[in-house]
This record gives sequence, structure tokens and C-alpha cells, in this order.
Amino acid sequence: MKTRAGRAAGVLALGLVLAATRPALAWDPATTHSGLTERALAASRFHATLVERLGRPLGGFEPLRLDVSLLDPDTARSLKARLDRFDPAGGHRPSADGVALASAWVRAGAVLEKTPPERGRHHFFEPGQRAGLDDGPGLSGTLHAARLTLDDGATVRDSATGLAFALKGLPALAWLWSPQNDLGVPAFLDHWARAVSAPGAVERETALVRALLALGGTLAVLEDMGQPAFVRNDFRGEFLAHDAGSPFERFVADRFGAVALPAPVDPVVRPDVDSFFVAKDGKGLAQRTQARFFSAGTLPPDVRFDASEKTADLLRLVNQTLPFAAPAVTRLELGQTGRTRYVQQDGVRVLAYQRNANKIHFFLDEKVYADYARRWLPEVEGYAAGLVDHLLRVTLALSIADHHVSVTVSGLTGQLETGASLHVLAEDGAGVRKEIAQAPVQPDVALTFAVPPGTRTIAAYARGRDAGGDFVAAGETTAP
Amino acid sequence: MREDGRGRRGSQARAALLALVVGGAAACGPVVGNAPFSARPDTLQPGDLLGPFDGIVIDAETERPIAAATVVGAWAFERGIGLRGPAGFREFALETSADGRYQIPRPEDVPTGGSMRLRRFTLIVYRRGYVAYRSDFKFGSGEQRHDFSQRGNKVRLDKWLPSLEHRRHLAFLGGGQAISKAAGWEAQPASLEQEGKALPQAAETPAEGMVALAKRMLDVSPLLSAEEVRGVTGFAGEFEIGRLTDRVRSDVYDSRHFKAKGKSEAFDVGVRVWSIGALAAEAQFGKLKDELPAAVATEEIGDRSLRARGGDVLGLAFLLRERGLVVQISCGTSQCTDAGMLLRLAKLVESHVGELGAVQEAKVPAKAGAGGPP
Repeated sequence: MKTRAGRAAGVLALGLVLAATRPALAWDPATTHSGLTERALAASRFHATLVERLGRPLGGFEPLRLDVSLLDPDTARSLKARLDRFDPAGGHRPSADGVALASAWVRAGAVLEKTPPERGRHHFFEPGQRAGLDDGPGLSGTLHAARLTLDDGATVRDSATGLAFALKGLPALAWLWSPQNDLGVPAFLDHWARAVSAPGAVERETALVRALLALGGTLAVLEDMGQPAFVRNDFRGEFLAHDAGSPFERFVADRFGAVALPAPVDPVVRPDVDSFFVAKDGKGLAQRTQARFFSAGTLPPDVRFDASEKTADLLRLVNQTLPFAAPAVTRLELGQTGRTRYVQQDGVRVLAYQRNANKIHFFLDEKVYADYARRWLPEVEGYAAGLVDHLLRVTLALSIADHHVSVTVSGLTGQLETGASLHVLAEDGAGVRKEIAQAPVQPDVALTFAVPPGTRTIAAYARGRDAGGDFVAAGETTAP
Repeated sequence: MREDGRGRRGSQARAALLALVVGGAAACGPVVGNAPFSARPDTLQPGDLLGPFDGIVIDAETERPIAAATVVGAWAFERGIGLRGPAGFREFALETSADGRYQIPRPEDVPTGGSMRLRRFTLIVYRRGYVAYRSDFKFGSGEQRHDFSQRGNKVRLDKWLPSLEHRRHLAFLGGGQAISKAAGWEAQPASLEQEGKALPQAAETPAEGMVALAKRMLDVSPLLSAEEVRGVTGFAGEFEIGRLTDRVRSDVYDSRHFKAKGKSEAFDVGVRVWSIGALAAEAQFGKLKDELPAAVATEEIGDRSLRARGGDVLGLAFLLRERGLVVQISCGTSQCTDAGMLLRLAKLVESHVGELGAVQEAKVPAKAGAGGPP
């Protein structure tokens, strides 16, 4: 039984350890997330969608303005303050008058998703249990929240009400769909529809910018599923494992920055949003990453052995210590002391180890990081590009003839759930758009509506849910 | 077999104590990280992330200084415990002097806070006609740059080659207001490259008079006046003149709306203009042809033209390829009582296109200074 003095010493030690915390194993938002997102957009149909559906001739290179005066004061203040933290060198910072290229707004959304950085607590996702971060039992979470308060990362009220980061967070998928998340999928769907349906042009452009920010935020959450620590719920492990910061995060940020990331694989096709993260077929990014890579806090512990032990027995014992079945340590070469050797999987170094006398020390080094980056960053980009294409998968074509507009919704998959609706809007001479018709969505069927006299532009959007999940499609065409 | 955590716990405790000391010391200002560059080209001594910085920008081929190149120095700060994120920036923008030199002073004030850290300094140099320079990476290869130094830095700019891609170049460039303005023209060729369309070589070095994208907000007010409309149509009433509100005015788009006072919309006239470069303009014209109701190619004005009709509105659009312009004119049937009137309005607009460049942008401040809202 522990004595009171022993418990006090333990609390003090824990406090000291928490005080020693350094950057966790997380993508650097201003460089890595921004760069991954840029690569993903370039590989996706993002540009073509803006050109062909929303009448933006420069597509991803179209300058767009966010008019914060149209937002409620709290949202405007928060958004402006967060955007104002961005470094111009990254290419995702809007100008003083709130203008940036469309693709830069998406990148800004990816960075905003971790601004303030404590938002990252909702990016953890252990796919086996579909669980988020819950690493703060007892005093440790409270201490961390208190420390953030001292660091300006949270307010006293946040701490008192449990809103501060106390080493707990929502599972990434829950966060992605949460109505509390201003950069999640629901926000993207709503703002994309408003980008054609809001009454005024400035409101529509601001809605488009907010949709792009939400798209970026959504991509950032997915991109973190390519990051071993996030899919192994390994926050504490990274805290406690290093006293010199997270070498992996630094390695990727310093080696590739925002502008030199490797090219993506082809956009990954998945049946719905959730399956980009986790699915029964095991091809969710979180599952694949977890099964291929170690994180700093989920390595085998250092082990001692004696010469009489067989390697097979040693391997079995080492693997029994692992919190996840894969990757496993498949081979150990213990013939030479002091030499760094590697556990490989499919030609990729996933774990380094070194024998020193009768001890084996496991670790991750820059060769492991370099192999990981070479092999996995293109995959992460491919998943992100695929998610962009999935969210923009449904298309809407409009054509005007003889005082009528025909609207066709295409790209739907599987069974269309009831309630999917098509909204048609006409813009009058004063530039104000009003809804003129609403109808149930009929896939690949041209629905025809009368165009009111004096109409300048016809726009439409469709919302609903098909086998691929919630969708939005928008389009517009100009009357002569 | 047993775990051996003694060494790890010992290092944690040492780190904890160190962090407490460092954390306390850092409360007044940011931790300044190690600079990944040298103090001067001829030394291995590390530089100072805070600066000051100076150097010269030269043509890599001729070794001659390049004047009026846009130079931006940006300091990025971050904060956070465990998870770290952007926490502020400082920026200094200037143009190189006649002898190609630049000087960037240390920022006068920097963000403070418990875990605030100066993460990096990035120097970006841009001059049209050259490949941009970044102090951290090289364009194209993605290699890390190792020849940047704090003082006495030599920036060798390679000439732009037609085989290079503007879309990659824009992503490489990063931002900052001064860079965005200087490189804004690349958005149009970048867009075409993204669509898989080749850019004519001539477009890399546009004529002096060509509308430079992002240098100004497009202003089409010189293209057509109310008097000219009345002269063509014989309309005796008044117009309220403004902009069509279906799209926000930008550096590539502007419009004009002649709203007939006290009359129905059948008396209104509208002009929309896209100034987006040759190939993008071609694509936009094709889009109008596909989308406008009852659109028929007429080839009566410009390089290509079309007529359309929807309800009480007549439409005419034409393409001016070399200028990279698409013009769309709408006229109500009560205002344009015959089709010839619409063509005459279009010809008036065409005759004034040369005046589009008359409205100059607001002067870009040479020094963006520190802070400020986005």
C-alpha cells in the first residue's frame, strides 16, 4: 500500500512529467497539413467542379473574398483572430481585405482545423474500438487543462466547465460529423448549398469561402488518420517518450515543408465518408496506418534477455507487449552489439532496434521516418483527394431554353433516401436570388421549371442522402 | 525478460526540471528555435532566426543584379503544449534596389506567451520572368535549400522556362500580400494547366498593355455610357447605373447595369466582362455558348461571337482572344427593339476596350510591416 508521502511524490512527479511535455506526434498544420491538402486538391476534381458547376473560370485559382461582416460577431471575431495567426509564407493566409485563391481557402481550412492546436484532441481515432482520445484519468488530465490555462490555450472557465483539453476528445469521426464543428462535413454541406442559394452575391461568395474552409477542416481530420499516433490514441506516449520534442513531426515539417511534399497516388475511391477512415474491408486509412506503423508510445519496451533464450521465444514475448497486433516484430538480429537494425514491412523500415550487451532497445529514427514519409504521405494525399471527389460526387446540370430551365442531378449511387430535394432559384434584376421551385430529386432525370421574366441567373442545389451518404450538389447558369 | 525504464524515467525527470526552468524563463518572450541556415555564406556559424537579413538578387545566368524584385521575409510563431499550432507572424516586404540588394530588419515586437516559439523564418523572392526563390526549398526538385544565409545572401534567380508549370509555381510561392499581387497573373495560366490545356508561349510574356491580373480590380465603367445606350436605342428615360449583382467584382470580373428608372426590366441593359487571359477566355466563351438559351454562333464581332435569347432579354457575347476578354451584353427587348441595336452596343463596347487599363491599382506599400488582420 502506498503511503501518503508516496502518493504526494507520485502527483509531484506526474506534474513534473506533464510540465515536460513537448510537441506530440502530429502533423504540423502550417506546413504539412497545408501541403498535403494542396496536393490532394490538385489531384481531385475540385478545380473542374468550380469551373464547370459554379461558374468560376479560374477554378481553384479564382480569387474569393470572405466578408466577415456578414457573420455573427462571435464567429467573425473568432475566425478573424485565427486566420490572423497564419504565416504568409505558407500560401494559405488571406490578404488584408480577406481575399485568397479558392485552393488557398481550403488549405486555410486545414490549418484552421488545428488553430488553436487543442482542436487536435478530436483527431484521435482508434479504429478497432472507434474510440477517441481518453488519456486523462485522475489528475493528469486536470493538470494538463490547468497548464493550458496558464499558457493561454484555455480559459479558467473552459477548465471549470470541462471544455479545456484534459487529454480527452471526441473520436475523429464523431468530430467530423459534429454540429459543434464549424469545419466539419455538415458545415461543408450547408455552406456549399448557400454558395448558390444565399440572396446576395457577397453572401454567396462568403458562403463558398466557408464551404472551402470546412472542406479543408474535413481533410485535415482525415489526413491525421495517416499519422500513427492519432490512430493509436497515443498522446500520452508521445508526451512521456521524448524529452527532446517529437522528432517525427519535425522531420516531416522540416524535410517537406508546405511546398515539397511527394506527389499523391491516384485518388482513393471509397463508398462513403466514414469508410475513408474505417470500414469492414479494413481499407480505411486509420486501419491501414495503424496496421503498418508504430508510434513512439506504442513501441515494444526495452527488453533484457539471456543468451539461452531462443529468438522465436523472444519475438513472441516482445510481440505480447504490443498494444496492437500489427505491425509485429517479425525478425530480430542480435548477433552484433551497438549496431542499429530495422524491422521491415513490405520494404519499409518501421522500427529500429539496437542490441547493447543483453538489452534490446527499440526506437524510431530518421531512416524510419524517411521510409514512412516516402511510402505513406502519397497514400494520405490520395485518400484526401478521394474524399474531395466523394463530397463533390453528385453533379447538377442546368440549361435554359424557351423560358424554362431543365435541371438534371447525376452521380448518385445506390438507393436514394426519401427527403432528397432539389431547390431551384431565380436571380432578379436587383441581384437577389429567391427559390422558385422545389421538387424531389430524381436521379438522371431532367426536371423542367418555368423561368420568371427578368431572371438574370438560374441556380439550383440538391441535398439528400444516397448510398454514399449525405450529399450536396450545386450549379448555376446565366441567362442572357 | 523485463522492461528497463530507469534511464527513460531519469531523462524525463531531467527534462521536466529543465522544461520548468526554460518555461519560466520563456514566459516573457518566445523561444527562438535554432536557425537552419548559417550566419554568412563563408561560415558554419548558425544564423539568428530573428535576423536581420540582407543580400543581393541576381540573374543566375548573367550574374547581373535584378532590381524591383519582390522580397518578403516572414517569421512564423507557434504555441501549444503537446499539440502545437500557428500563433502569429511578422512580415517585412520590399522591392530590391537598383543594385539588386535587400535588407530586412529584425522585427520590432514579437508575440509572447507561455509556450510561444519562433518556429521559422522564410525568405521569398519573386520577379516575373524568373523562377521564384524560397530560403527553405528549391522549386521543381523539392530539395531542401542549403545555400541560404542570414547576411550577405546571394539569391540567384533562374529564368522561367516554358516547360515549367505555373500551377506548381503558385503552390511553391506561398503568399503574403506583396507576393500575391506580383504573381497574381499566374492564376490564369495555372488554371489552364490544371485543366490540361497548354499555354501558348506568347502568354508567358504578355504585351505591355495586357490587363495584368490581380494588379487591380477590374473596372469596366469606360466600356459603355448611358448616353451611348440612348444614342443607339433612342431611349429617352433615365438610367440608374450600377453593377450586376450576380457575381462579386474582382480583378478578373466586372459588370455594368443600366437600370431603366421607373421601367420594367425589359428596358435594362447589362454588360459582363471577364478578363482572364487568352485560353481561359476561350473556355469561358465556350461555356456561355453551351449554357445561354438558344445560343447561336454569329461571328459578327470580335474573334468569336454568339447571340442568345431568353424571354424578354436579348444576349450577345463576344471573345477578344488576344486581350483575354469575354464580353456579354444583355438588353431587354423594350430597350433593344431590333437585333441591330444590340450589335451596335457591342461595337461601342469593343471600341472602348483599350481604355480598360486606365484605372490603376492602389499603390502596394513596399513594407507590409508587422501584424495586421488578414
